[in-house]
Amino acid sequence: MPKITFIEDGGAEHAVEATVGESVMHAAMDNLVPGISAECGGYANCATCHVYVDQAWADRLPAPEEVEEVMIEAAFDVRPTSRLSCQIQVTEATDGLIVNLPASQTGA
Amino acid sequence: MTTNSTMDIPAHVPQDRVVDFDYLRPTGIDEDLHLAWKRAQDSLPDIFWTPRNGGHWVATRAQDIKAIQLDHQRFSHKRLLIQGPEGHEGSVLTMDPPRHGLYRMLISPAFSPKAIAALEPIVRQTAVTLIEELRPRGECEFVGDFAKVLPVEVFLGLVDLPLEDREFLLPFAEKIARPRNPQDYGEGQAGLTQYISQVLTARAQQPGGDLLSKIVTAKIDGEPIAFEAAVALSRTVLAGGLDTVASILGFVARFLALNPGHRRQLIDDPSLVGNAVEELIRRHGIANTARVLTQDTEFKGVRLRAGEQILIPNNLYGLDERQVDDPLVVDFTRAHPDRHSAAFGNGPHRCPGSFLAKSEITVFLQEWLARIPDFDIKPGTTPRMASGHVNATHELHLAWDTDSR
Ligand code: HEM
Ligand code: FES
Repeated sequence: MPKITFIEDGGAEHAVEATVGESVMHAAMDNLVPGISAECGGYANCATCHVYVDQAWADRLPAPEEVEEVMIEAAFDVRPTSRLSCQIQVTEATDGLIVNLPASQTGA
Repeated sequence: MTTNSTMDIPAHVPQDRVVDFDYLRPTGIDEDLHLAWKRAQDSLPDIFWTPRNGGHWVATRAQDIKAIQLDHQRFSHKRLLIQGPEGHEGSVLTMDPPRHGLYRMLISPAFSPKAIAALEPIVRQTAVTLIEELRPRGECEFVGDFAKVLPVEVFLGLVDLPLEDREFLLPFAEKIARPRNPQDYGEGQAGLTQYISQVLTARAQQPGGDLLSKIVTAKIDGEPIAFEAAVALSRTVLAGGLDTVASILGFVARFLALNPGHRRQLIDDPSLVGNAVEELIRRHGIANTARVLTQDTEFKGVRLRAGEQILIPNNLYGLDERQVDDPLVVDFTRAHPDRHSAAFGNGPHRCPGSFLAKSEITVFLQEWLARIPDFDIKPGTTPRMASGHVNATHELHLAWDTDSR
C-alpha cells in the first residue's frame, strides 16, 4: 500500500497507508488526519482539502485539471505547490508522497 | 385532507408500498414541521409511492437519500421539483454531469471559505443594522423584518450592486421565501429574471471583478456563454440563497425562542457557536427536492420506472436514528453534527453557498443574542410553517423586554 506523509504546519507528521484508486483527501479522512475537512466530499467545489505538495513531488504528479485550478485560486495562502487533495489519485507511483497542510486549515 | 390530485396506482407498485401522503401537508405540520416529517419517517415504509401531487416515490432514510443523491446516472436532476418543469441550460440545479460541471466551475470559487471570510464584514454590518432597528420596538415579525432581508442585502454585497436595489428585490424575495399560492413562486422567479437580465446586460458591456461579470463573460466549452444560460445561472445563485437562508433562520429563531437554556448556553460560552450552527442545521433541514428516473431500474427491492419522480426530503437525513443517536435532541456539544446531515446535499450539486449560509447563521446568533438575549414567541400568536420544495417559516412573531439589556 502506498504511503503518504501529511505534515501539519506546526511540524507534526502523520504517516498513513493509502489505497490505490482513492484520493489523497480520502486517505487523510480515513486516517483522521487533522486539517482536511473536505466539505464538498471530493468534487473540487470547496477548497477545504487544500495541501502543499512537497517540492520534490510537485512535477511528478499529473497536472491539475481546470476545475481544480480555478478552485485552488480561491483557497487561502496559495503557493505554486498548492493542490486540492481530493483531485490527487493514489497510485503505486505516489508511494512516499509528502504533503504539507496549510496553517489556515490546521489552525482552525 | 383534500386531494389536490390523484391518479391510478401504476401496476408495478406493490400494494404495501402505496401510502396516501401529501408532502405539502404532512400530518401535524402546524405544531412542528420537523416532528411531522419525523413521524412520517417512523411510521411509513422506507420507500413508498404516493398518488398525491401527480404521483411519486418518496425515500425517507438517510442511507437511501445519500445513495440517490450520489447516483445521477439513474437519478437525474433534470426535474428537480415534484410536478415541476424540466430545467434549462445554465440553471445548474437541473443539469447533470458532465455538463453541469462547466457552469458549476464558474460559481464555486466565489463561495470558498476565503471569499466568504472577505464578505463576512458585510454580513455582520447588515445584521447589526437590522437588529439595532428592531431592538427598541420590543417585537418583530422575524421572517419579514429580518430573515428574508439579510440574504438579499448579502447578495447585493457579494456581486457589487447598490444596496438601494433591495427595494426592488424584496417583494420578489417575499414571493419566493413565502409563496402564498403556486403562482407566487413563479412570479418571484420572473421578477428576479428581469432584474438579473438588466444587470448582466450592463456587466457584459462593462465587466468588473465580480461574480456576475465573470458569468456573463465566461466561455462554456470554448464558446461564449449563451445570455439566457448566464441569466439562468445568475438567478440560481441569487434564488438559491433566499428562501433557504430565510427559512432556516426562522426555524433557528423559533427554536431559541422556545429554549432559553440553549440561548443561555451560547451566551455563556460563545466558543460553542460554530458547532451550534452545524447542529441547528442538522436538526432543521429544509430542502425537499426530487430526482427523475432516467431508466427502469430496481432500488432496494423496489421497481422504479423511467420518468417517475422520487422525493428525497433531505431534512430526514439528520433526523434518522439509524444515522445519528437521539436525532431530535439539539446538543450544541454533539461531535461533528455536519457528518450526520444532508442539509446541503451530497455529490456534485452539493450547495456552494454552505459557507455563506453558515456565516449568516453564525453572525445572526452572535449579534442577536448580544443585543436581544431573551425573547419569546409573541403571546397570542402561533408560528406558521409550511412544507414545500423548501420547508419554510411563514410567520414568526417574537417579543422581548426593551430594557432586557
Ligand atoms: C441554510 C441554507 C441553505 C441550504 C439548506 C441549502 C441547500 C442546498 C441544497 C440541498 C442544494 C442541492 C440541491 C439538491 O441536491 O437537491 C443546494 C444547491 C445550491 N445552493 Fe444552497 N442552500 C443554502 C444556502 C445557499 C446560499 C446562501 C446560496 C448562495 C448564495 C446557495 C446557492 C446554491 C446554488 C447555486 C445551488 C446549486 C448548486 C448546483 O446545482 O450545483 N445556497 N443548496
Ligand atoms: S473536498 Fe472539496 S475541493 Fe476537495
